[in-house]
Amino acid sequence: MIKVKKFSDVVRNSLRGGLLLIIVATLVLEATSLVQYYFSREGLREEAALRAESQLDNIHDKIMDVVDQAEAAVRNSVWIASWCLDVPDSLKRVCYRVVDDNPVVAGSAIALVPKKGEKLFCPYVYRSPDGLVYHSLDNEEYYYPSKEWFTMPIEIGEGYWSEPYWDEGGGEMLMTTYSVPIKDKNDNLAAVLTADVSLDWMTEIVGSLQVYPTAFSMVFSRDGTIMVCSDKSLFEKKNISGIVSQMEDTKTLSFIGKEVTEGRSGSKVVKDKGKKFYVHYAPVQKTRWSIAIVIPEDEIFGDIRQVGFYVLLMQIIGLLMLAIILYFIVSNLLKYRKLTEMKEKMEGELKIASGIQMSMVPKTFPPFPERHDLDMSALIVPAKEVGGDLYDFFIREEKLYFCIGDVSGKGIPASLVMAVTRSMFRAVASREASPGIIVSRMNKGMSDMNESNMFVTFFLGVLDLSNGHLRFCNAGHNAPMILTDAIRELKVEPNLPLGVLPDFFFTEQDVTLEYDDALFLYTDGLTEAENINHEQFGEQRTKDILHGRKTADEHLKNIRGAVDAFVGEAPQSDDLTMLFIHYLGKSDSNSSRHLILQNDTSQISKLAGFVESVCESKQLSPDLSMSLNLAIEEAVTNVILYAYPEGTKGYVDIEAQSEEDSLIFVISDSGKAFDPTSIPPADVTASLEDRKIGGLGIFLVRNIMDEVSYERIGGKNVLKLKKSL
Amino acid sequence: MELKTVKKPGEVIVHLIGRLDTPSSLEIAKDVEELKKEASGVIILDCTELSYISSSGLRIFLTLRKEAAIMGGKVIVRNICSEIRNVFMMTGFLNLFEIQ
Repeated sequence: MIKVKKFSDVVRNSLRGGLLLIIVATLVLEATSLVQYYFSREGLREEAALRAESQLDNIHDKIMDVVDQAEAAVRNSVWIASWCLDVPDSLKRVCYRVVDDNPVVAGSAIALVPKKGEKLFCPYVYRSPDGLVYHSLDNEEYYYPSKEWFTMPIEIGEGYWSEPYWDEGGGEMLMTTYSVPIKDKNDNLAAVLTADVSLDWMTEIVGSLQVYPTAFSMVFSRDGTIMVCSDKSLFEKKNISGIVSQMEDTKTLSFIGKEVTEGRSGSKVVKDKGKKFYVHYAPVQKTRWSIAIVIPEDEIFGDIRQVGFYVLLMQIIGLLMLAIILYFIVSNLLKYRKLTEMKEKMEGELKIASGIQMSMVPKTFPPFPERHDLDMSALIVPAKEVGGDLYDFFIREEKLYFCIGDVSGKGIPASLVMAVTRSMFRAVASREASPGIIVSRMNKGMSDMNESNMFVTFFLGVLDLSNGHLRFCNAGHNAPMILTDAIRELKVEPNLPLGVLPDFFFTEQDVTLEYDDALFLYTDGLTEAENINHEQFGEQRTKDILHGRKTADEHLKNIRGAVDAFVGEAPQSDDLTMLFIHYLGKSDSNSSRHLILQNDTSQISKLAGFVESVCESKQLSPDLSMSLNLAIEEAVTNVILYAYPEGTKGYVDIEAQSEEDSLIFVISDSGKAFDPTSIPPADVTASLEDRKIGGLGIFLVRNIMDEVSYERIGGKNVLKLKKSL
Repeated sequence: MELKTVKKPGEVIVHLIGRLDTPSSLEIAKDVEELKKEASGVIILDCTELSYISSSGLRIFLTLRKEAAIMGGKVIVRNICSEIRNVFMMTGFLNLFEIQ
């Protein structure tokens, strides 16, 4: 659980980390964008200002061009007009010249300053589509002496540009007039020379010079009248106050109006209907007009706004994708965590199941310590936690019932079938003695409920311990090995595995085991154990290990060790099960019995039971029994203590041959050659001081037994002890 | 194999219970070393419950006997069964010990 807790911390941390990542990414992105946006905006604003300034200059220059031409036209005619004052009719020609010579001049008049009692006199020539037209402005109705173009130059004594006006006199257009006072020879004011300039050309100039498509320019006269405006709706407002009254930001506009009428230059931001406008303005020299350029903010920042919008959109998409990816990663982690928890739970359950399964088969060896006619051992090594192999055995009425089996498949399904098989074996074999009947019944039972088509290869044997008669029945299992004087396969009928056909007839077979014969049963997990090169352990290796005299336990341990060494790093692919049964029974008078001991003094305690049971079968007196016991112990102790170098493992084989009038014990070992009969016997008549501590053992052997002989046969020490009865 | 030691002034009674074969002789080797310290007095080996003795056991008897001879003590063997008496006879031990 600790592991899971840690893991959930990891998940929580990664979730937190992911959120933090997104937040940081957002902040960094937005900050970068903002900085970039700010600087771009500043740049654009500066550029717009520069453009506006240059536009103002440009318009100004164009206007001045016209203004200068008109002023020049007037100035150049002043002297001639002054000279012609005396001949009023000739003034008409001067007007003609002014208009004719100067394309910018739409009309020209020379108005005489009226003298008392004299008539008004004002010749006027203007340009019409049909050529120059003469017209006299001396009617009382028009009364030119009251006109601004007439009064102002006289008043200020120099050239004057009039406020724009609608010319009704002849041009029928919006005009402005430049007028200059003319003095007579006596330096008295005598007349005013004018040149009308149509504002149409200004409209043209202003209209043709646009910094931005929706920007517009205006020209104001000195009192704020709109002379030219490329925005028609504003033009209709006629003057600044008309515009101010129409707009929201009256304060700024009034300020601009004041600035404009006072002939200053500058720039301001005006807000209207949620939109911002940049207004740049500057005066026109001489005329005291003013030019203003109005640029909507959208126009300046339109592009950057669009770019900004796309950048923002992409950022949002990117962050969303990041969030989605993070979500998937975290949910995968959570899924993985769930899986891990489930796996751990399952592993825990499997461990319990494994324990239950292992407790189903006998695990204590030797299983029948009180029996000297049987040495057996078994081993099961599942490839996974639980397996499909089984073995089992028990003794009923002096018969050993044993079995080995291998369920098809592996893992939990196989383990369940294994449990069923084992239970059936116990149930049926506890009542039946015939292996054929037991296997047939088990087969019937398992076939009937075999919906999952699992089957079991099975070998069952019933060994009569009193005479070595073995009845067995094989159900598709591999043949066991029988160890007699040689190791060979037991000849078995294959029959069919359990669970295949419910009414199959299983053939029963039999064989008789002699004293010291052994059976080795195994599952294919042994012979088919593979190393990393996919070589199989095979039967030959098994047979090689089974050679030689060892206890059942030792045999299985050796095979297990050999398989482990052979398989090495390769994973165990199948369950491995082995059962070794060493038959040591049949103690009739002419038979012999065996006991194998390791070279360890603690093993000697086993010896007493063995010798006593031999003596018992001969019904010897306790006195003789004890003497024989003593002699055999002395001989065996000798081997255990001296035959093998210290620290090495070895065996002592004790064979008791029961003859009609004698008992023969043959004690053999594979240790170094040593003849105990060569030891000089202890002197039992010596005085206490001369008595040696050693040498008593062999003395006792010689004294108790009737014949003691030693031989070295095939690398073995063979000591033969005979007692006549 | 079990040893029961009863100490009295100048006398130690050792009850030997069970089989005195090779493994049990090795087992009691330590107790025997302790017993050797009493060899200046009388050591009584009570064999009432001793059922079997091997040469290793006999060696222990002999070791004690030799120690007693040196230290000026005495070893008395008490209540041996007929089977063990046979062994004592065979090995000449009857002459070496005072048997009661």
